[in-house]
Amino acid sequence: MGTFTALDDWAFLVPLLSVAGFAIVGLAGTRLRRLEWGGWVAVALSGAAMVLGVAIGVGEMLDPGAYVNAQFTWLHLAGSPGPFPNGVSLVVGTLVDPLSALMLLVVTVVGFLVMLYSIGYMHQDRGLPRYYSELSLFLAAMTGLVLSNNLLEFFLFWELVGVCSYFLIGFYYEKPSAASAAKEAFLVTRVGDVLFLLGIFIYFFHYATTGPAGGWAENGFVFANGTSPFLPAASVGSSTLLTVAGLMILGGAAGKSAQFPLHVWLPDAMEGPTTVSALIHAATMVAAGVYLLAVASVFIGFTGTDQLAIVAVGGFTTFFAATMAVVHPDIKRVIAYSTISQLGYMVLAVGAGFAMVGLFHLFTHAFFKALLFLSAGAVIHAVGTQDLFKMGGLRKPMRLTAIAFGIGGLALAGIPPFAGFWSKDDVLSAVYSQLGSHPLYWPFFLLAFAAVFLTAYYIFRAWFLAFSGDHPRDPSLPHAHEAPWVMLGPMLALSAMAVVGGLLIFLPNFQSLLLYGAGAAGIPPVYGTTDILLSTGSVALGVAGIAVAYLLWGNGRVYALPEGSALQPVRRLLLNRYYMKAGYDWVGQRAVYTIARGADFVDRYVIDGTVHGFERVFGSLSDRLRRMQSGVVSDYAAYVIAGLLGVFVLLLIVAPYLISWFGGT
Amino acid sequence: MSLEELAFLLLAAVAVGTGVAALLVRELVHTILWISVFFVDLSAIYFLLSAPFLGVLQLGVYAGAVTVLLLFGIMVTRKRIFSREAATGVGPVPLALAVVTFIFLVVALGQFPSGAAPVQSYDPSALSGALFGAYGPWLLLLGLIMLGGVSGAIYLVREGRE
Amino acid sequence: MTALPLAGFLALSGALLAVGVFGLLTRRNFILILIAVEVAMNATILNFVYFAAFAPAGGAGISGQAIAVVLIGFAATEVAVGLAIVLGLNRLKGTINVAQATELKE
Repeated sequence: MGTFTALDDWAFLVPLLSVAGFAIVGLAGTRLRRLEWGGWVAVALSGAAMVLGVAIGVGEMLDPGAYVNAQFTWLHLAGSPGPFPNGVSLVVGTLVDPLSALMLLVVTVVGFLVMLYSIGYMHQDRGLPRYYSELSLFLAAMTGLVLSNNLLEFFLFWELVGVCSYFLIGFYYEKPSAASAAKEAFLVTRVGDVLFLLGIFIYFFHYATTGPAGGWAENGFVFANGTSPFLPAASVGSSTLLTVAGLMILGGAAGKSAQFPLHVWLPDAMEGPTTVSALIHAATMVAAGVYLLAVASVFIGFTGTDQLAIVAVGGFTTFFAATMAVVHPDIKRVIAYSTISQLGYMVLAVGAGFAMVGLFHLFTHAFFKALLFLSAGAVIHAVGTQDLFKMGGLRKPMRLTAIAFGIGGLALAGIPPFAGFWSKDDVLSAVYSQLGSHPLYWPFFLLAFAAVFLTAYYIFRAWFLAFSGDHPRDPSLPHAHEAPWVMLGPMLALSAMAVVGGLLIFLPNFQSLLLYGAGAAGIPPVYGTTDILLSTGSVALGVAGIAVAYLLWGNGRVYALPEGSALQPVRRLLLNRYYMKAGYDWVGQRAVYTIARGADFVDRYVIDGTVHGFERVFGSLSDRLRRMQSGVVSDYAAYVIAGLLGVFVLLLIVAPYLISWFGGT
Repeated sequence: MSLEELAFLLLAAVAVGTGVAALLVRELVHTILWISVFFVDLSAIYFLLSAPFLGVLQLGVYAGAVTVLLLFGIMVTRKRIFSREAATGVGPVPLALAVVTFIFLVVALGQFPSGAAPVQSYDPSALSGALFGAYGPWLLLLGLIMLGGVSGAIYLVREGRE
Repeated sequence: MTALPLAGFLALSGALLAVGVFGLLTRRNFILILIAVEVAMNATILNFVYFAAFAPAGGAGISGQAIAVVLIGFAATEVAVGLAIVLGLNRLKGTINVAQATELKE
């Protein structure tokens, strides 16, 4: 254990503090004299969790390469000859390693800042204790997920995070659109979850039958033991089973991180409060999918086919989502599509084999995306609408907010020296360096590269629409005022991070840290000479995007596409999100109705038919039998005589057989 | 074949014949005639089997009292002089049952040794000894049942019963 | 002491029983039913007499005759009660056709 890692054994306290928040606010919140005191309790606890989390995270970053694994075996099954000669042990524990340290920093810091911001933003809402307890539970689940040391525990927290997302998206549950968005989020990610679980099963099966005794599956899928990872990635073969398992993992990650084709839930998730969007759908929960891919690539390993699939999904989604952000009028949804697109970058990096690079982008993205959301939240709080076309000229009354949003936008667009530039460029360099290993990487790299332009364009379109000009386009908008300090504080903190966060790259051991877990040997350093060309290119694209946005939307202009323009159908296609949701709805309805009709048929004709069949059989039987009681005495006499004959037959003819069978004397 | 055997054969044939006839003729009064012959025939068999007391009893009770009772019953209940309600069709089930009964009895008969068996002859006083001795309780029982039966019969036919 | 075929005697009582059962089941006139029952009962009494006659030596076989006596008494009683029923039925229904006395029908 290194000098800075003494705290790591106490890592489990981080989620535990948030659980305490959940319990206290959940149970006692409504009894407090003023409802927002519950919020302060939650803030305090999340602050404590942040302090601990930062301490652990920074400690690990300064002393990289050290794993600290603390675990508790909760189930041990004895061994049997065959697949598990040493039995199976299931554990629960925490693992502190560079991956989880970086994530811990992100989750705890952003979590605390969002909590603090909520005090101001949610000031007038009803149901506050529910909000803070659910948010605390979410933080607990997310930090638990990050610190998990085995795949099963990871999955458990994964599910819990999904449940919290459902609760929080549907916070305004009286609104039908919110309730339905929560359901949509849960169900779509559920598809991913099923795939994830299938992947776990396949891994179990594979490693049970082919792994060495005492191997990974027998030890409950632990990622690391003591100071060494359990399954070094280099030992991955190329079996089909492993490829399929990897694809299942990708499916799970695609669900949670809203990658194509499971991205449809994220824009609708904007129904939740903006703070929820900032925390969950920008910085943390959606990052869980990327984290899963990172962990899997480092500790389990992906085959070449898997990597191609991941690169394809990530690269495609990056471009695909950016196109939809270009035309949307709702400020939150623009940012949501941006999130999907940026997640694509992270997935792309992990697919290329650079888990830490992807997580680095996740790190910077968490800060500037949360900043964007919180700034948008401040705007929404001030003017009461989310429609960009109703806003305008807000930079005058909301100076600081405008600056904050601008900083976030610059970071997102990848303009140096803001954080986004360093991480996005590292992603592009990493993928570029791997272009030789697979011919099909090229198109996806190009898509990701082109998306830089779109990214800069759409975010500054939003900035210009909201803040530039002299006055709001909709005159009925209330007079805007700057956000209160309890909201501005977190925004400023995040702005600071968005400015300097990228400079982390200049820390002495950070460069080598970026290569942590990289799959192939002989990987060049992440930042070399060819990369300067890439950087220049991407910065140029970014600046071009901002320029185009200024041309179309700056100074209060509103660019309207001419009616007969050939781009109109394209615009409609983008606005309608390529009709994907409608397509899913249609398929879902057809599938559900078909199954329902089938089930109805079975229920009505088979099951009820059997029941009624019994009815009919017994009914007719009783009808026949009741004719025995004809009332005619001779008939009754016949029955008596028949019975008597039967008894005689029994006694005289059957009895000797019975006696001989049962061995009587 | 000895004389007794021949006699028995004749008597048996008559018994079965009159029995069937009694049940099949159309006229009710005719059945009474047939049935009385049946009873007398049985009595003859009893005599043949050295049960003279029983033979006489059969004549007195059956050929006498029972026949007269049946005759009275017919007379009281028929609507016209010549009633045609005597016989009806024969269904398959009763026929089957009767046949089965007979077959069953034939099978049961197989248990008994075929061929001749000696026939006991009893002194009539032996019967009185048994009847009032070991089987005395049976007689008492008979008396009670007769009492109950006749009382019931009287009750069933009393006036005022609707 | 003469020897007679027991089987033949039993065949007679068996036949008479069958006849009696047949009549019991097929006749619709109640008096005829009574007569059929009498035929069957006589078959039974005949059996007892047979067993008395074909009993082994020793005099114990007399019990068959004793029982036969009692049975004749029973039979007579039964005829009496049966006729009372006939009269009652006639009074009630105006007929002694048992097919029309179906109050026991469910």
